[in-house]
Amino acid sequence: MNTKVTINRLATGVPGLDEVLGGGLPEFSFNLIAGPPGCGKTTLAHQMMFALATPERPALFFTVLGEPPLKMLRYQQQFDFFDSEAINHSVRYINLATDTLAGDLNEVLRRIVAEVEANSPSLVFVDSFRSVVLASQTQDNPNNNLPQFVQQLGMLMTTWQATTFLIGEYFTETDTNPIFTVADGLIWLRQSVQRNSMVRKMEIMKMRGQPTLPGLHTFRIGTSGIKVFAPAPLNRGETPLEFPVQRLKMGIPKLDEMLGGGLPRGYSLLVAGPSGSGKSILAASFLAEGARNGETGVIAVFEQRPNHSQNATLASLIKSGQVGLVDSRAPDLSIDEIVQLLLSEIARLNATRVVIDSLSGFELALAPTFREDFRESLSRMVTALISVGVSVLLTSELEDRYTDLRFSPYGTAFLTDAIIVQRYIEVQSRLLRIMAVVKVRASAHCDELRLYRIDDDGLQIGEMLPDKEGLLGGRPTQQHLGTVEG
Amino acid sequence: MAGIPAALIRLNTINKAISGKPHAHSSRHGLLKVYYPNQSIRKQLAMSALKEESRQIVASLAQRVGPDADSAGIAQAIVSTLQDMDTALTPIIGQQGVAALFRRSLHLYVGRQACLVGSGDRVLACQAPAALKSLLIEQSEADALFFGEVLLMTYYELLTTLIGPSLTARLLRDVWKPSLSDTPSQENSP
Repeated sequence: MNTKVTINRLATGVPGLDEVLGGGLPEFSFNLIAGPPGCGKTTLAHQMMFALATPERPALFFTVLGEPPLKMLRYQQQFDFFDSEAINHSVRYINLATDTLAGDLNEVLRRIVAEVEANSPSLVFVDSFRSVVLASQTQDNPNNNLPQFVQQLGMLMTTWQATTFLIGEYFTETDTNPIFTVADGLIWLRQSVQRNSMVRKMEIMKMRGQPTLPGLHTFRIGTSGIKVFAPAPLNRGETPLEFPVQRLKMGIPKLDEMLGGGLPRGYSLLVAGPSGSGKSILAASFLAEGARNGETGVIAVFEQRPNHSQNATLASLIKSGQVGLVDSRAPDLSIDEIVQLLLSEIARLNATRVVIDSLSGFELALAPTFREDFRESLSRMVTALISVGVSVLLTSELEDRYTDLRFSPYGTAFLTDAIIVQRYIEVQSRLLRIMAVVKVRASAHCDELRLYRIDDDGLQIGEMLPDKEGLLGGRPTQQHLGTVEG
Repeated sequence: MAGIPAALIRLNTINKAISGKPHAHSSRHGLLKVYYPNQSIRKQLAMSALKEESRQIVASLAQRVGPDADSAGIAQAIVSTLQDMDTALTPIIGQQGVAALFRRSLHLYVGRQACLVGSGDRVLACQAPAALKSLLIEQSEADALFFGEVLLMTYYELLTTLIGPSLTARLLRDVWKPSLSDTPSQENSP
């Protein structure tokens, strides 16, 4: 028989937070929500409070010397989670300003305990706890012992089976603050400002007894409240390759031949080429071919004017619902937010084909703070998408450089399972296009450089130029057979 | 008029006798209303955006006043209503917050109704609801009741502009409750 205590985990009602916490909030834990002003501490507290409080086990929200309660109520009710009917029913506000101003911590503690005894709350919030600390420091009161106060509060709240949150403004994590030691959980909220962009980030610095997701997690505050973008779980494992390998048709028969029979299912494919080389047309035909076979797809577009760049095929697929469009023009995107948008759209449509058009636009859409980690971000995105079993086509703008052979401007070519490269060449005063399959992992593929053109029906792949050499240099020359011997 | 408390019938009559320009308060927020002293305050309150709430406030005060109260009784009813509002709000927004709301309501009231009850200065000198009592006792029954209705409405509207109608209604529900429970059911329909 298992006689160990079971720690219940509470669902916080904040999307993504339970995942970041490592499975919800431990019941009866004593937590600190910390961060600089304006980072969303009070909003986070309210959102959890309205989600968790019940008339039988209400929430007590002690307001101390921070934000005036009238103002807090005024602003918090702008959020969808705020329920006026819950006030004085499952949610009770208690103002302790006068007691705190007197500076006697024992009296503050006595008031809190009296209210807790009277209401048997399941949740207790103290906002802002920082002001309790400051008030105690400014008073010349020898009886004030903050560590002892925190210790007692923590002990009493746990005994009364209340999950407790102290909300406070703390600027440095390195403070040797007694609260940090006593607290079971430390939720740190931050605002990262870089140049003209601001990104909200959350870190679970401590949560006793559970495997939290380490690192900084981005979140947004909208009318529905806080939404945390937890990284997509990656440990589901890739679906093992089935033999014979199933291949997806690209919608361009000759390209399928070049790929060795199509793109193996579950692969990621990078289509790299200069502006105007037809990457988006290739991507659209990939989705259209899927739709013809009854598959659904998702396309993420990162262009400033997505409607203007869409081709007719794609527009009709989106309109008919066979392709889902992820077109987040929200500023300062994070990789986890985009991955989450993509995954929810994939799940909604049960999609098998995904297009990211383009990585260059994607990089621009990211907040500057994430651009330094772009390769890591991209790697995580590709892994997250592949791990749900979809096949991914990514387009990448490739500045034409005829002195070196590169497939992506980010050094990310190794991330994908297959690569198609497109280039312009100059032949007889014409700008022609060539295309080659550079790699298809674990599969034979064609090594030819093929001419292709774009017409109303899409990409038309033509022949090689066997009598020309130096195609990748952009200015091919006529091959002079036999000149070496001659 | 069946079921309408006698105090209100008296008020109607007296209001008709008062003539004058509308007392407008040009609020910075543009949310406050104009009251015409030569029209029934009850009618005017009933036309305000907070129609249901005005009805509740008027009915509750009338109930507390009772059928044949003198100025002292009316003053007591007004003060006790204000004190009940204090009691309901203090745990949530704190003593200082409630005191500030009361003071702000008085200022708004004076902006609207200075000529009706005493001088504006005497009204503004009141720091707490209890201080209003001595001032109100000196007034006629109708003036005192009119003052109470307008002040309570002003207070209510002020809170509404700050925290919205639904939360205001929620927080002050119990203040009007005892009077409503004693009110005959036909009183609840306009």
